[in-house]
Amino acid sequence: MKCTELETLISSWADGEADAVQADFARRHVLTCQDCAARHSALLALREGVRAEVPRYRAPPALRARVRRAAEASAKPARAPWKPLRERLPWIGGGALAGCLGTILAWSVGTTIMASRASDEVAVAAVSMHTAASIGGHVIDVASSDRHTVKPWLAARLDYSPPVLDLAAEGFPLIGGRVDHLQGQRVAALVYQHGQHSIDVFVRPLGSRVEPVPLRTVRGFHVVRANGATMEWIAVSDVETDALSALVTRLAREDVAQ
Amino acid sequence: MADPRRFEQIVMPHLDAGYNLARWLTRDARDAEDVVQEACLRALKYLDSLTSADARAWFMTIVRNAFYDWLARNRPSEVINDENEAVDAAVDLDSPSPEESAMRADQRRVLSDAIEALPLAYREVFVLREIEELSYKEIARVADIPVGTVMSRLARARGLLQRSPLLHALGATHLGARDEMH
Repeated sequence: MKCTELETLISSWADGEADAVQADFARRHVLTCQDCAARHSALLALREGVRAEVPRYRAPPALRARVRRAAEASAKPARAPWKPLRERLPWIGGGALAGCLGTILAWSVGTTIMASRASDEVAVAAVSMHTAASIGGHVIDVASSDRHTVKPWLAARLDYSPPVLDLAAEGFPLIGGRVDHLQGQRVAALVYQHGQHSIDVFVRPLGSRVEPVPLRTVRGFHVVRANGATMEWIAVSDVETDALSALVTRLAREDVAQ
Repeated sequence: MADPRRFEQIVMPHLDAGYNLARWLTRDARDAEDVVQEACLRALKYLDSLTSADARAWFMTIVRNAFYDWLARNRPSEVINDENEAVDAAVDLDSPSPEESAMRADQRRVLSDAIEALPLAYREVFVLREIEELSYKEIARVADIPVGTVMSRLARARGLLQRSPLLHALGATHLGARDEMH
């Protein structure tokens, strides 16, 4: 096979989108083919270049204000005073409901259903906190990439001291932290950067030993959860789920009992 | 009809993502604003019919459609047939020539310029993947093409970028610029 034909495979493999068989083939192929190995590392270099040098444009404030006004103007002057909950909280319907049904069919175990529902609530709450912080511009209370600054700052404001880790070397530089409210509880939020996206990681003391449902998508944001030895880790962002899972897994693994 | 609170919760968090896509597709800040504003009006109209959890892909799809309608009205010469051959043969009329590019090339902007010079069909999948970090499935939904086409267009977009005269003019091998394979 001519290696130019492998361009697509190498590219989807570099994206983590090749299936297991193709990925295995690609992994073995680059060990013996210099051309494709160079192709692969050039792709990774290109990605690094994009992350470092290419802007992710942000909507200008004037545009933001204009579309908000349009939304308000489009509402009927006399709105119906009452709407069913399903309409007000649309994400409770559709996807989430289907998710619950899927879980029931797959497991039909009462506790699992409870965990799944609780997981939806946590995911919805976490996404609300994440978007509220970024829309309000209140993302960071303590801006620092130094965990020795962020950790004591958080510990002084909470009744627990969350482990804080800078993962700049792995592509997740720590940019700061804040105290936020998740389901009525004051929790630590660590803010990481990944490429042009910001990631909120909510950290709270482990409530139960039940392994959380690892992945949820709410209103276009991904929520990935994992339990460490002492803390529960909940990451929210619009970065791809693989990167988000890698970050959470890493954080939960570092969280070991003292 | 449309509830401003729903709009605030569902669309506003993805306004930057939508604007970024429109900005890369139009290559102009003012045009991007027009496209996003039109997309928001459509989103308001269809908000009640949104049932899936993936509001981001939903809104990006609306932005992309608004862009193509805008393109047909304002730059009809750039509209191309969405057939594979047409896409492959597409020459971007509005993009700078390699000589022009090399002259105005500036180290900081070189990669952005090279992306802007990609033909539309490649530019959109590249931006959705590398800047917006959408999965192949999400890109397929937004761009309304099969996943296999997402794969091949991405590979081709990357190949075009790596062989871009712009990157070579600056010897930007650290950005993945490389020569044609033999």
